[in-house]
This record gives sequence, structure tokens and C-alpha cells, in this order.
Amino acid sequence: MTETTHDTIKTPGVFSISFVRGTLFMIPALLIGMGIVSGVRLLMGLPAWNPNAAWTLGALFGTIAFMYGAGTLNDWLKLANGEDIPEHPQAARYKGIARYFSISFDHKVIGVQYAFTSLVLFLIAGLFALIFRTELAFPGLQFLKENATIVGMNGLNFYNTIMSLHGIVMIGATLLGVGAMSNYLVPLMIGANDMAFPRLNAFAFWLNVPAAIWLVSTLFLGGFDTGWTGYPPLSQLAPLGMQLFFLGVYFIGLSSILGSLNIIVTIVKLRASGMNYFRMPIFVWTAFATAIIGVSATQLIGLAFQLVMFERLFGMGFFTPSEGGNPILFQHLFWFYSHPAVYVFILTGLGVISELLPVFSRKPLFGYRWVALSSFAIAIVGFLVWAHHMFTSGMEAYLRVPFMYSTLLVAVPTGVKFFSWVATIWEGKLSFETPMLFVLGAISIFLLGGLSGPPNGVVSTDLHVQDTYWIVGHFHATLFGGFVFPFFAAIYYWFPKFTGRMYNERLGKMHFYLMLPAFYLQSLGQMQVGLLGMRRRIADYDPALGIDTTQLLITIAGYLIGISVLIALYNFVLSARRGEVAVANPWRSRSPEWQIASPAPEHNYDEPFEVVGEPYDYGLEGSVYINMHPGRPAPGVAPLSAEPAAAD
Amino acid sequence: MKHLIAAGILVVLVTVGLIFGMGQIRLLPVAASAQAQPIDYMFNLEFIVIVFLFSLIVVMMVYSIVVFRRKRGDTTDAKHVEGNTRLEVVWTAIPLMTVLAFAYLGSWSLGETTRADPKPLEVNVIAAQWVWRFEYPTLGIVSNELRLPVDKQVLLHLWSTDVIHSFWVPEFRVKQDALPDGGELTRDLRITPNRIGEYKVRCAELCGLKHSFMESPVIVMAQADFDAWVAEQTGESADPVERGQKWYTTYGCNACHSLDGTPGVGPSWKGIYGEQVKFTDGTSSVVDDNYLYESIRNPALKIVQGYQNLMPANVAVDLTDDKINDIIRFIESLK
Amino acid sequence: MTTQTTSLADYRRKASINRFGLWLFIISDFLVFAGLLVARFYLMGAQTRPEVNQLVGLAVTIILLISSFFMNRAEVAATYNDRKAFLNNTLITIILGVIFLIGVVGVEWQIAPFKASDGVAGSLFYTMTGFHAFHVLTGVIFLIILHRNGRKGLYTAGRHFPVEAGAVYWHFVDVVWILFYPALYLIGEAVL
Ligand code: HEA
Ligand code: HEA
Ligand code: HEC
Ligand code: CUA
Ligand SMILES: [Cu+2]
Repeated sequence: MTETTHDTIKTPGVFSISFVRGTLFMIPALLIGMGIVSGVRLLMGLPAWNPNAAWTLGALFGTIAFMYGAGTLNDWLKLANGEDIPEHPQAARYKGIARYFSISFDHKVIGVQYAFTSLVLFLIAGLFALIFRTELAFPGLQFLKENATIVGMNGLNFYNTIMSLHGIVMIGATLLGVGAMSNYLVPLMIGANDMAFPRLNAFAFWLNVPAAIWLVSTLFLGGFDTGWTGYPPLSQLAPLGMQLFFLGVYFIGLSSILGSLNIIVTIVKLRASGMNYFRMPIFVWTAFATAIIGVSATQLIGLAFQLVMFERLFGMGFFTPSEGGNPILFQHLFWFYSHPAVYVFILTGLGVISELLPVFSRKPLFGYRWVALSSFAIAIVGFLVWAHHMFTSGMEAYLRVPFMYSTLLVAVPTGVKFFSWVATIWEGKLSFETPMLFVLGAISIFLLGGLSGPPNGVVSTDLHVQDTYWIVGHFHATLFGGFVFPFFAAIYYWFPKFTGRMYNERLGKMHFYLMLPAFYLQSLGQMQVGLLGMRRRIADYDPALGIDTTQLLITIAGYLIGISVLIALYNFVLSARRGEVAVANPWRSRSPEWQIASPAPEHNYDEPFEVVGEPYDYGLEGSVYINMHPGRPAPGVAPLSAEPAAAD
Repeated sequence: MKHLIAAGILVVLVTVGLIFGMGQIRLLPVAASAQAQPIDYMFNLEFIVIVFLFSLIVVMMVYSIVVFRRKRGDTTDAKHVEGNTRLEVVWTAIPLMTVLAFAYLGSWSLGETTRADPKPLEVNVIAAQWVWRFEYPTLGIVSNELRLPVDKQVLLHLWSTDVIHSFWVPEFRVKQDALPDGGELTRDLRITPNRIGEYKVRCAELCGLKHSFMESPVIVMAQADFDAWVAEQTGESADPVERGQKWYTTYGCNACHSLDGTPGVGPSWKGIYGEQVKFTDGTSSVVDDNYLYESIRNPALKIVQGYQNLMPANVAVDLTDDKINDIIRFIESLK
Repeated sequence: MTTQTTSLADYRRKASINRFGLWLFIISDFLVFAGLLVARFYLMGAQTRPEVNQLVGLAVTIILLISSFFMNRAEVAATYNDRKAFLNNTLITIILGVIFLIGVVGVEWQIAPFKASDGVAGSLFYTMTGFHAFHVLTGVIFLIILHRNGRKGLYTAGRHFPVEAGAVYWHFVDVVWILFYPALYLIGEAVL
């Protein structure tokens, strides 16, 4: 582990930027893949052009070529060739923003890359939402009419496609956002200098880029009309876009598996000395639980989607009753992943909440062990509840009651978190900077989302609400409370860590005070229209339901959220360039990442630190969490003011 | 302690206020079936618990926000409280008991909604892209409206001819998916309508292009009116054209084929009989009985130019040759 | 990831990290096969199975089991620094693996009385054997790389984690077949 000092900071040519190179490699490979399929078909005496098969192989080739062009495979190829590669991979280091568009093996750069990609996808998916929300603002078809043609689709098909894309791209954005937080924070928090497998880390990140390209390309390939769930037989009959949807999700899933594996190994193997599991920052626990779900359950959605792809390609019949198949099997496989996946979306967000509350309340996290273990309880019980999405699907009837019991059990460990949070702020000394506002907002919203879960879990009431906007309201509240709000809290909170500058507090507060009420309006509105009879995934609704006003309000709320997000982006861009220079530890946090310079140096800690106390002992006279310089004689009982750079 | 008491009183007030407020807004459509009763009972119970828990946590939070603010310039920390195992056990155990109670009540209410009456009226509900067909096997009626006598249990047998659809009448509360091809995958649903009126069955599972519009009337009528309707329906017309017109709607051809010349998902039937029709492979044919029969039985064989192969292959499995003949006579009449 | 320039202690530390990652990968990958097994029993039950050729099935099973034996020999040879035995045993494993692939894809697939599009039996048979064959193929490629690098003398008694990884992977693929073989060839009556 000798310091490599000779790497200089360069200004890259356009073609050495990984993103550009990858894309350049991708296009010919796509064509070659298509050519091979057509050639083989000609030889077999079939009509040459089969769009499904051609695009499948083309996209597969394209993805591999992208990964090669981006440079993620270089070291592995060398290794296979028996060449020596350094333990800490070195990538060319570029100046400024180009660095984030090029391959890097530094977990902090990769974390920022994840976050950036996540925000881009969030914007795209949000834009889709605003389009279809405009259509839904009034009853009757406004502009997505049946005889309209938009990118080659008629209005209704276009609605279905952007609605489905909104769902899946948002979910992609969420997975990437979770990846961003885990990647950036876990090594810093446990005192590692990087992830366990830096090359795999870069590979997993870059895989998302072609995946996102395939997902968005569906819009131009006939679309698809199944929602993000892709149920057969509808998905078997759907246009070409469907196949690219499956491939895109497959690659995102693969990335998620590899990323999770990396996180687990990092946490288990690379913790600083003295950091036993119950002395890890609480966020690490949630990242751990998340990764366990990611590495296991994700395989099943991959399998389910592959089987449908095979149905489309080879006429197989897993889910086709006339072939002896059964569409219910798909739903079992799909939800076996997709239910645990919802906890992937939120657990790290809840980790951020637990992480920030003590800092802004100047009080220890109430019941650390309970909060830590509740994440695992949620993850484990979360594996046993998947069929609650299928209460009305016509699955085996005897499964309904047991799955109702298991589903409702999840409320218990989630409740432990809520009560512990309230107890943490109770009698604390609270201050309300933007990250704290987002954390408090997140708690209230996630509470709304969580509490709207049990009515779905109780079979008899689910018979009414299944596939209605009540469900839509439920999951927007859980997703906003469990991911969107905490993610913004995290960005504001660690902004000084990755830019060295402070965000603008005024703009941050504007963002919050616009987003919170708008969100309540949107979500409560969705729940109400759902109960009153508004089905999901429809482009038009019956005016007789008497829900026009609420629908209009939901649309307006959607736009307000959009505006608030734009304010946030403006804030980020502006502050990254011209924000006030941050002090080393602006929040007076005890967490290790705040004990080093901002932005964090390339190799995190120049000397491994040692954990000597509990992470959240705010208010305990003389307590120390970590000793940054275990080499030197221990500072004895350090007074609290010895915490580095306490700023007001 | 004084803080806890103050916050506790606020929680109670807010809970009561919210429950009262929720009574003022519309939350559920009218209940029109016996099954809706246990379900609405559960809904009300759930709403109360939700409101209480929401108030409990949010009020405590807002109270802290207001009361426990940090003074400007105060850099000291708060009192060091690490946790309290007894409290943790309490707030694990109480929710645990609550959810177990809910699960128990849930099973009870589910049992109520599936309770079978001895002699229900049986109706086959056949869903297809994007129409509903209702067959009354004991009465020999096929219809696009679901007409039901009030206060008598109906046993629906649901299946679909193409993709998954879902049978839902919001006023009845209960919902069930219809799975492709029937047979072993036929699913049952019991409903006892108890309120005369007109409702709509609304397909609740995304089923493609026109899922939004897959709605059909559901009419709950007095037994005497129902009997009169049955008598009217069972007298079948002697005119094949009239019969064909009926099959046109009952078998759902109207979802894709118009009668007035406007193209839909499939070509309009107006004036096609006897004309030339061009196919995507360049060939063409005259529209006669044979061609029509073939394109109904085997739609994928020849695809009309300007259209895609979207007509469901098994759309005609339930059509006898006689019925197809009626349809052809009907198409002929549209010259 | 090997580096000859690091100290042995460093190599061991790194290998233990890699080993953990490897096992996680294998657990994760195993779930795909578990999912396929679930699908097979969900759709066909324990009473029926695809119509397959018992002779070919038995033959390839035996070949794969034998290959695992040689894989183990190769790994043991690597721990004893016996390069020649390592190379020979690896080569035998590769050849047996290729024979297995020919047996499944080249013979069984061709003589099967059904196509992939013939009902669930065909779908399950081709998908399950196909997924497994793909894993054997990647295993063979991995072994070829090991063989090449072994010839260059990259593996020594203390430093041969890649060999261990190849062996673990190979045994894993073997275990999967031990589960698939009865599921496809033995349980239930044959149907088309
Ligand atoms: C982001 C993530 C997320 C989270 C965290 C949850 C959390 C929960 N979800 Fe949700 N859910 C989704 C995302 C999420 N969900 C999505 C995306 C869908 C739709 C998928 C689709 O079809 O497209 C969905 C759909 C969905 C369904 C299927 C509905 C249907 O289609 O018919 C069900 C049914 O049971 C359900 C239940 C639950 C439950 C019980 C919880 C629980 O985990 C909630 C637990 C939390 C609390 C209960 C609040 C706090 C607890 C207390 C204060 C303690 C005391 C509480 C009690 C005593 C009740 N969800
Ligand atoms: C993280 C997840 C997430 C998030 C944040 C959102 C955000 C929003 N969602 Fe989301 N939604 C889902 C996940 C999410 N959704 C999922 C999984 C589904 C299910 C899909 C399915 O059924 O298959 C769904 C479905 C869904 C429906 C139901 C559609 C239907 O069934 O027909 C509705 C309807 O109101 C809706 C509305 C909204 C709105 C108004 C927002 C708003 O908050 C959006 C706010 C807007 C922005 C953030 C955009 C800001 C950008 C600009 C103003 C323009 C700038 C653009 C560029 C520079 C490119 N969503
Ligand atoms: C889901 C949509 C759909 C439904 C439902 C449907 N069709 Fe069609 N139909 C089509 C399409 C698309 C075509 C044109 C492509 C083709 O020729 O297959 C078509 C073509 C036809 C033709 C040939 C018309 C011509 O102009 O040559 C006939 C006849 C026909 N349908 C009869 C029926 C009958 C009878 C039913 C009901 C029992 C029915 N269709 C239901 C979509 C549908
Ligand atoms: Cu039929 Cu939706
Ligand atoms: Cu779920």
C-alpha cells in the first residue's frame, strides 16, 4: 500500500471520458449483435428481421461493449491474462467535473456518480409524472387522445408507457440513490479507505448507465403497457419496448446485487479496530440490512424477467395457461423480490434519520441496539410477506391469512424506530437547519405511508383498495418519507463533506417548506380518490366518481413538488461553486467522517483510527468515540471541547 | 413529567379532532352489498387506529419542536439519556398485540365476505380486452350488463380470454382478478347486493390499451324487475342480423370494430362486405362469407393492411359456427 | 486479486476478503437455481416431469461428478506446489466439463422429443439445463484461464486463491446439477 504520488491531475480529451467512450463502443456493438441475429435467422431460413431477438442480442452486446469502452473491464482482463495489477486501482485523475464522468475507483467519487445519476433519473421520471398528471387533471382525455400520435404511439399507449416508465425510472433512481449513500458513507464511517472491491464497485455503477439508456429507449421502440410490474400474459403481448424494459431492469438488478455484495464484505471485513457491530454508526446497520436483501432477493426478479424474455423469444410457456403455465407463478417470483425491495428503498433513508437526529438534538440515539436490530427484523420479516400484493390475484386461497399475519408483523419493528426517534428528540436541544427539517418531515411522511400499509395488509380491506390510488398514495408516502426526504437531508447534511462548501440555507428552507405541504396534498389526495373508486393506471376516469377537484389538486401539488426540486438543484449548483467555505465539522458531529478535512482526502484516513467509545454519547462528559491517532499516546480523558473544530 | 402530560392531552385533542374531521369528508362510496359491511367495519376501525397513531407521534414531535428548541448560542449538549429497555419492551409489545388483534379481525371479516349462501345465482364473468361478458348458465342469457336481483347472493365464476383483468365494483367493495383461459384458473367471488341502483364494474388490473375504459353497467334490481328482464332476454330473435348485432356486443367485437366507418384497433365493419380487402403481405381478397369466417376463427392468418395483429387469437372460442354465421349476416347488413 | 509484490500476510488478508465475497456470490447465484426449482415443481408438481433420455442423463451426471474429483485433485496439487499435477488435473476437469456440455447441449437437446416452445415441460427443461450449461461454460472458461496462468507459474502453495475460487465455483455448479438431475430425470412420470 505504498502511496502513489506520481498521478497528476489531467485535463481529459473528450474521447477519454468514460461515458463518451462507452457510448461510442456501444453503438457498433448494438449493430453487430443485431446483424448476428439476422444472419443466423437467414441461415435457418427464417425471415431475417425479428425485432425482439435482434434488439435483445444487440443490447446485450451493446452493454458489454459499453462496459469495456468505459474501462471497467481493463484490470480484470489483465488479471485473466496473468498480468499484475495493483491492489488499489489507479484511474487517471481529471480536473473538475470531467472526473465524475470518467471511471474512478474511489468510493467517494463513485458515490457522487451514483447520486448524480439518481438525480438525473429522478428528473426524467418526475417529468413523466408531470406529463401524465396534466392529463389526469380533468376528466376526459385532454391531449393523450386515442387519435393523437406521440413518438409513434397513440395517446393511450403513450399514457401507459410514460406511467410505467415513471414507476420504473423512479425505482431505478431510488436504488441508485441508496447506492450513492451506501457507497459514499459506509467506508468513511467504518474507517476504511475504500470498498472491499473497488473495481467491482466501479463496474456495478457503470452498469447502470446502459441500463438507464435501455429503459428510456423503450419510449422510442413502441413503448410498453404493463406498469412497472410487467405481469404476463400482458407483457408477452406487449410491443418491443417491453423487451428493453426487461433488459434494463435486469442490468440495474445485477448492479444492485454486485453493489450489495461489496457493501457486505466491506462492513464485515474492513471495520476499524475496536468498532464492533454495536459501535458502528447506525447508518451502517441499515446499509448492511439493505445489502443483505439486495444480494439475495434481487436474483428472483432477474429470473422472473428472464423467463418472460424467453417466452417472448422462444415461445416458451411458463406463464401461459394454454401451454400448461401459470401467470400466478410470475407474481410469486416477482414479489419475492419486489416486496423486500421496498425495504431496500427505505432502510438507508431511515438510517439517515437515525444518524442525524442525535446530532441536531445533541442527545444520544434512544435505544441504539433496538434501532439497529429493528432494521434486521424488518429485513427478515420482509422476506415473508410478499404475497400481500396478491390477495386478489387468484393465488392459492389458503395463503391469504398467513400472509396477512406476517405482513402486519412488520409494523412492530418499524414502530420501534418511530418511538425511538420521538424519544431521541424529546427533551433534546433541537436546532432546525435544512437537513434536520427534512429529517423531521421524513418522519411524519413515512409515518403516514407506513400507517396506510396495514389496511392493505388486512385482506378484507385490501379487497377494496387493491390496485387503486389508495395504494398509489401509500407508496408515494413511504417512498417520499423513506427515501426522497432523507435523501435530500443527506445531500444537504454531507454537502460540505463532498464539496467543501455550505449549501444556501435560505434556498434549502424554501425547498422544504414548498415540498412538505405539496407532498401532503398529493398523497392524501391520492388516498382519498382511491378509496372513492379511482383505479390505478388509467388515463381517464369516470366523472361520476365525484373526484375532479381532488384530481386537480393532486396535479397542482405535483407541479409544486417539481418546482421545489428545481430550487434544490439550483441551490446545489450554485453552492458547489460559490457557497461559503465549510468548516471541518459544521454540525459538531462525533462521526468519524467529520473528523477529517472537507472535501474528504482521496485516501480517507492517512492513519487507521481506533474506536474507543460509543457513537452517540452526546452530553456525556468526557466521552470519546474514536481516537484519530492511536499511534500517539492516548489523550487521556479528553474534554468534550477537544472534539475537533466545534463550530457554532 | 409536566411535558408528558401536556403532550398527552394534546394527542387526545388532536385525535378526536381528526376523527371528527374525517367524518366530514367523503371517504368511501356507498355500500351496496352485504360483503361491504364487515369491510367497512374494518375500515372504520383502521382509520381510528391510524389517526390515533399519527397524532401520537406527530404531536409529540411538534411538541418537541416547539418546546425543546436550542437557545441561540447554546453549545452545550442535552441530558444524556441512552435508552430505556422497559419502554422499548412496552412499545414493542403493545403494537404487537394490536396487529395480532387486527390480523384476527381481518380473518374474521374475510370469512364473513366469503360466506356461502345455499342457493346463489350463478353467473360466468368472462373478461376480454376490453369488454365484460356475463353469462347466466341457468337462465340461458348472455349479456354485457350485469343485472342482479337485490338481496340474493350471486356466485361469480371469473375468467378471461386473453390477459389478466380484475372485477371490481367499488360499491360492493370486493375485488377478484380474472385469469386467462379459465379451467383450473377459474376464480369465484360471492356478492350479495343489498341496495337497488346502477353501478359500474371497473376493470382494476392493467390490461393494455383501453384498460381505462373497461367498464360495464351493473344494475341491481328488485326480484320482480329482474324476472321481467330474464323473460325479455330469453326470447331470442328469429332474425340472424339482429342476433348478429347482439353477438357483436356480447362477444366484445365492439371494443375494436366500429359500425360507422371509423377505424379503431381493428377495421370498421361498415360496408366491407363484398369489397376488396388488402393484406399486409401484399395479397388481397374479396370479403365474403368464407373470408369472414376464416378471419374470425383465425385472425392472425391474414392481417388487414394498416392494422396490426392485435385481434385475440381465441376471441371466437366461445362462438359456435351458427353464431359466427349470424355475425357475418350482420356484417353483410352494414353495406 | 493477486499481486506478487505484496507480503504473504497481506495476501492472506486480501484472500480472506475475496473468499468472503466469493461465497456471497455463490449464495446469491444459488438463489437463481432455487427459483428455477421452485418454478419446476410449481408448474409440473412431483407427479410429472419432462420426457428425457435416461442414458444421456446418467452419463453426463457421472461425468460431472468425476470432474469434481479431478478439480479437487488440482486444488490439492496447487497447495502442494505441484505444478505438473495441477495442470494435468485442471486439464482433465476442463475436458470432462466440455464433454458434459456436449452431452447436454449437443446430444440431449437434439434428441429431446420436444421443443422449447412445447408447453411447460419443454420450457422448463431447456431453461434449467440451459442456465446450468451456461454456468458450466463459464466454469470451463475460468479453468482455461487458470490453466494458462498456472503454466506461467503464477500460483504457489501460499498464493493460489484463484485456484480455490475456480474449485469452489466448479463444485457449486456440480451441486446444482445434483439437485437438477433428480428434478428433471427422476421425480415423477414423464410427460411430453
Ligand atoms: C417504499 C417503500 C414501502 C414501504 C416501507 C412499505 C411498507 C408497507 N407496505 Fe407497502 N407498498 C409499496 C412500498 C412500500 N410499502 C409499494 C411500491 C407498493 C405497490 C406496488 C405496486 O403494486 O406497484 C406497496 C403495496 C403494498 C401492498 C399491496 C397492496 C395492493 O396492491 O393491494 C400491501 C399489502 O399489504 C402493503 C403493505 C405494507 C405494509 C404493511 C408496510 C409496513 O412496512 C408499514 C409499517 C409501518 C407502520 C405500520 C407505521 C409505524 C408503526 C407504528 C407507529 C407502530 C404501531 C402500528 C400499528 C399498531 C399498526 N404495501
Ligand atoms: C421514488 C419514487 C417516486 C416518486 C418520487 C414519484 C413522484 C411522483 N409521482 Fe409517482 N409513482 C411511483 C414512484 C414515484 N413517484 C411508482 C413506483 C409508481 C407506480 C407505477 C406503476 O403503476 O407501474 C408511480 C405512479 C404514480 C401515479 C399513478 C399513475 C397511474 O396509476 O396511472 C401517479 C399519479 O398521480 C404518480 C404521481 C407522481 C407525482 C405527481 C410525483 C411528483 O412528486 C413528481 C415531482 C416532479 C419532479 C421531481 C420533476 C421535476 C422536474 C421538472 C420540473 C422538469 C425538469 C426536467 C428535466 C431537466 C429533465 N405516480
Ligand atoms: C382486441 C381487438 C379486437 C377484438 C376484441 C376483435 N377484433 Fe376483429 N380485428 C382486430 C384487428 C386489429 C383486425 C385487423 C387485423 C387482422 O386482420 O387480423 C381485425 C380484423 C377482423 C376481421 C377482418 C376485417 C376486414 O376488414 O377484413 C373480422 C371479420 C373480425 N376482425 C371479426 C371480429 C369478431 C367477430 C370479433 C368478436 C367476436 C372481433 N373481431 C373482435 C381486432 C379485434
Ligand atoms: Cu381489463 Cu383492465
Ligand atoms: Cu409489499
